[in-house]
Amino acid sequence: MATAAVAIVRPLELEQASLWSDAWRRLRRNRLALVASIYLVLLVVVALVALVYTPFRMSAVGVAATYSPPSAAHLLGADELGRDILSRLMVGAQVSLIVGVGTQLLVLAVGVPIGLAAGYYKGWFDSVVSFVINVFYGVPDILVAMIMVFLLGPSLTNIIIAIVVTRWMDMARLVRGQALSIREREFVEAARASGARPLKMLFGHILPNALGPIIVQATFGIPSAILFEAFLSFLGVGVQPPTPSWGSMANEGVQAIQYAPHMVIAPSIALSLTLMAFNFLGDGLRDALDPRSRR
Amino acid sequence: MRDLRTQFATDAGIVKAVDGVSFELFPGESLGIVGESGSGKSMTALSLLRLVPDPGRIVSGQVLFHDQDLLQLTGEEIREIRGRDIAMIFQDPQSSLNPVLRTGFQVDEAMLAHGKPKQEAHARTVELLKRVRIPAAESRYKDFPHQLSGGMRQRAMIAMGLANAPAILIADEPTTALDVTVQAQILELLGDLNRELGTAIIMITHNMGVVAGLCSRVLVMYGGQIVEQGPVDQIFDSPQHPYTWSLLRSIPRVDALRHERLRSIEGLAPDLLRPPSGCRFHPRCPFRIEKCFTDEPRLENVAAGQDAACWVTMDRARKEMGADSLVDIRPGAGSGVHPGELR
Repeated sequence: MATAAVAIVRPLELEQASLWSDAWRRLRRNRLALVASIYLVLLVVVALVALVYTPFRMSAVGVAATYSPPSAAHLLGADELGRDILSRLMVGAQVSLIVGVGTQLLVLAVGVPIGLAAGYYKGWFDSVVSFVINVFYGVPDILVAMIMVFLLGPSLTNIIIAIVVTRWMDMARLVRGQALSIREREFVEAARASGARPLKMLFGHILPNALGPIIVQATFGIPSAILFEAFLSFLGVGVQPPTPSWGSMANEGVQAIQYAPHMVIAPSIALSLTLMAFNFLGDGLRDALDPRSRR
Repeated sequence: MRDLRTQFATDAGIVKAVDGVSFELFPGESLGIVGESGSGKSMTALSLLRLVPDPGRIVSGQVLFHDQDLLQLTGEEIREIRGRDIAMIFQDPQSSLNPVLRTGFQVDEAMLAHGKPKQEAHARTVELLKRVRIPAAESRYKDFPHQLSGGMRQRAMIAMGLANAPAILIADEPTTALDVTVQAQILELLGDLNRELGTAIIMITHNMGVVAGLCSRVLVMYGGQIVEQGPVDQIFDSPQHPYTWSLLRSIPRVDALRHERLRSIEGLAPDLLRPPSGCRFHPRCPFRIEKCFTDEPRLENVAAGQDAACWVTMDRARKEMGADSLVDIRPGAGSGVHPGELR
């Protein structure tokens, strides 16, 4: 009798839509996010191509006349040493992507476990973490980053570390807040009642439910890190010559802005487009991953 | 499982949510715990597994399970007990399954947490899903909780609870979030499992009907204390505590006259920050006597296997206060003792 009644409940053809496939569907419908994704895929391709091919060697001096404007041979012109700007821009894309993505991966590695543990266990650990976060917020990030680069030396790795040190708090605080609210949900209690291990609770139950906001936060963190690196390089404490960075290229361009404006325009546009693309993608992801926007 | 005595306080002023509760649960028994919201029945169950939510503390007592005091175990030891020896299922299957994990996987996890190999766990999950009568168990395994109906979700929760063949299954209002026909199916399922697997069940509910259908023994809780306990049939036939008596009277009856009003118990559940003096039920009790205002009654044997904590008891209320013919059951209605007249 009971089985007969239940058998009817078998749904007509339930859409096999998980949270992720739902989100993906919504993301594709967002034109701006779609265009941004395409741009970013192209940027990655360019950065990869630059590993094996650039029109000219990026550090080759005097391949064109110094300060020469864009031409057929040098599509974006040349800089003060007669180096091909397009080639340098392509290599600069590598730097930006490595810094942006690398920073966020490290930020995730640091911020997520700390935030999860603080939000889930609360108590003294949470108090300590919250205090440390506030201390880090209180110190000016550019100062910290500059001092760290001075101390550690201006390699790409050290720049990434310096940015992580000034940027991990946003992620830790977000994850902590998520953990604080998710830990009160009933399935967490149910999992505890079934004897789940503490690590399982954190990474198997709390983390998957916080993944949406974390992804969005990381996506917004990438352009912020790229901009920070460009800014450090613009100030001269970033990536060191001859490796080009969009920031250092803009710095060189600014000095020649009156007679060779293309030098500052090219890296600035590349930087702006990339920042915009990441931000639009982040926006799109936020809408797509928001479970309340069931469209 | 022998002799459980739990008492604990939360801060924000001390709320005595469970105030000196003792009971025994025998292997394979099905025990009902009934009471209004805030009577401490859920907290009793949660403290059994040491899952009392945050400001709460178990301040004293013992929970003896196989001669082991669960309250003295380390965090890791109690974690091993949870889900393996004593499992719990919750009120709302919608929110007690993790929405982002596949249903079957969550049942697996209950076993993985206690060291069962993955392959075995998977096979047993499918078997369990069939056992709790989820149709097309193999394909349901891969479904997310939101793709299941409420009844199926609760079945999945029960499967999770049974995963490690626990000695005790605590069901905290497992049917309140479900509609009536599904409720009946779930109760039937729990009854079958109790009989066939010999799993002892503690059924926490505010519904006397649920207890009547499933349990052999019942505890009635009021204001964090047990006010009456005994075999279900006996309690239903001759409740001795006025609270139990009023609870039973408040069940809608199929054979009631159409114009008969549904009787409710007057007044509110006691404020556990400042519990009433004497008997905690006296502010709402129709049969209170003067002693009830000042002295706290203890559980005393009133009939074979039946205990009640009451100075009057219903036998006397029937004889001396005409309880059965009493229509108006406002506080003091039967005995005529009102607070104003005391002083």
